[in-house]
Amino acid sequence: MNNLMQTLALVEMSITCAVLITMLLQKMSPQSFPLLAKLLLVLILANLFFWPLGLGIELPLSAYVRGVTGDLSIVTMLLLWTSLLLASRPVPLAFKFALVFVAIGFYPFALGLGMTDPYAWGYGSIPFFIAVLFFALLCGLANWSKGVWIIAIAILAWAAHWHESANLWDYLLDPFLAIWALVAIFGALFRRRRDKARSGYLFRPG
Amino acid sequence: MSRVIALCFLLLAAVIGFLHIDSRPVWAPFAINTPAPLEEVLELQPSLKSKSPSVPSPITTWLPDTGAASVHAASLIALKDGAVRAFWFAGSREGAADVSIYTATLDPKSVSWSAPTVVMDRVSAEKALSRYIAKLGNPVPARMADGRLQLFFVTVSIGGWAGSSISSVISDDEGLTWSAPQRLITSPLINLSTLVKSPVVPFTDGRLGLPAYHEWIGRFGEFLRVEGGQVIDKRRMSSGRSSIQPLVFVSSAQEATALFRQTRSADQQKQVPVSQTQNAGQSWQSVGDLPIANPNSAVAGLLLNDGARILVLNNIETGRYRLVIMMSDAKSQWQVIEVLEDDEALSDEQRKEFSYPYLISVDGNDAHLVYTWDRKKIRHRYFSGAWLKRAHDQLAATEVVATPEESK
Repeated sequence: MNNLMQTLALVEMSITCAVLITMLLQKMSPQSFPLLAKLLLVLILANLFFWPLGLGIELPLSAYVRGVTGDLSIVTMLLLWTSLLLASRPVPLAFKFALVFVAIGFYPFALGLGMTDPYAWGYGSIPFFIAVLFFALLCGLANWSKGVWIIAIAILAWAAHWHESANLWDYLLDPFLAIWALVAIFGALFRRRRDKARSGYLFRPG
Repeated sequence: MSRVIALCFLLLAAVIGFLHIDSRPVWAPFAINTPAPLEEVLELQPSLKSKSPSVPSPITTWLPDTGAASVHAASLIALKDGAVRAFWFAGSREGAADVSIYTATLDPKSVSWSAPTVVMDRVSAEKALSRYIAKLGNPVPARMADGRLQLFFVTVSIGGWAGSSISSVISDDEGLTWSAPQRLITSPLINLSTLVKSPVVPFTDGRLGLPAYHEWIGRFGEFLRVEGGQVIDKRRMSSGRSSIQPLVFVSSAQEATALFRQTRSADQQKQVPVSQTQNAGQSWQSVGDLPIANPNSAVAGLLLNDGARILVLNNIETGRYRLVIMMSDAKSQWQVIEVLEDDEALSDEQRKEFSYPYLISVDGNDAHLVYTWDRKKIRHRYFSGAWLKRAHDQLAATEVVATPEESK
């Protein structure tokens, strides 16, 4: 069981690395990759990351990445994978704001500020679980069904003990997700200012 | 329509999630130490017990040489046959890639240690855990409720010890062979910076309470509730950046005291911080300091069957060149009963380091101690039940050197 969990974690990390590299290549390419090309690229790269390459390297490449990052949360993985492979609307800005708000309230206390540890709620606190469900419900009410699916899958993964952690937080949030949300918010604000400035220039009277 | 399907799926996840929460075990009381079958243990230890007909002096041995230049972080556990198994890490230097975790057993009849064997090396650990591992450290053994041995140890993938995570292996044969390691997830920030040093505390439901600590952004103690190879709950024992390596003394099914190694800044008091729980570790409160000097070094302790508590620590504010054994009970304050090592007379350069003590009792009356001796060797000392009893009897008569102090 432990072996299966470790193998699946490496598969996940290999796909994540492949997706990230494919996204990077897409950004650098002047033309948009068709879905089949993206899938093929992910498949090839994921295999490169998953299988031990030899050449004096003890482990598969994904094991080195995993050694540094640990297992990513289900929410991070699914958001990343689906953003490349599924045509869907972008993640709402309000969700990113909520993520940053939660992360700012969570990490300082979870890492030792004061005697209250919100991370401990993730082991089985009913109020915390209700709050997570309420958050998912808000995503649904905001017409962002993908958010509902992702949070529901994260809850199921936690209940099935999919990863090494028994803590719901580890299935919902990780520092990379929080940093991405923060960067995305600044990016959106910057774009908004730039667009406003440009529109001001174009329609300036006189 | 897609939204309705998504919400139905969420409802399903909610039901399964609630069932999962409902299946979690309730928090159990501490298991109180029951005296071991003393006669059996005594029969198995004739050599340790019969060095002198009256009160035998403490016996000193050295853990076997692994050929490595640097050794550290020794720990002990009593085996079912009355022997003692030690664990420690050794390599070219602390934190080197060639550091492995070793084990050896003490034969109570011949009072000699077996040849050391490797429990875990870096490459085995990283292959079994499917992730890169740079170094190993701090082995802490425990006896599981079903009789198997569990060994917790620290692995680091990036950075120094502050980047540590805990893993564990299990043995069905008293430590001869071990299972593949499992990683304990204890921190939301890439599972960084949780370490172990002190013995576990068993609960009545068979689960283990593992005193652990963080030493990166914060330096504080945490009480992990462990079931097999996973953490199922945890509680904070202290906060801030001033106390690590909690050592838990259980005094009743609900009450326990934790003593810490202080890691305060230079202008603060160099004493042993203390926390208490009155609900079997579900919540802890800081209750000030034990007025015993602590130079930012580990503290080992033991509660004996006769109610006496013993501590082994460096009772100085700087350096680790003196190591003492102290004792107290419900009526008496902490007193030094023996100075184990003392290089005070030597110059700073000549002083050796005596650190990382670890204490266990085989029968509830005696004490086995191991500690790092100048980072080159691990010293083992055995204090018989008779020797400790005599020290306990003399406790009230000797001079009080320490009195409790209320929290500020």
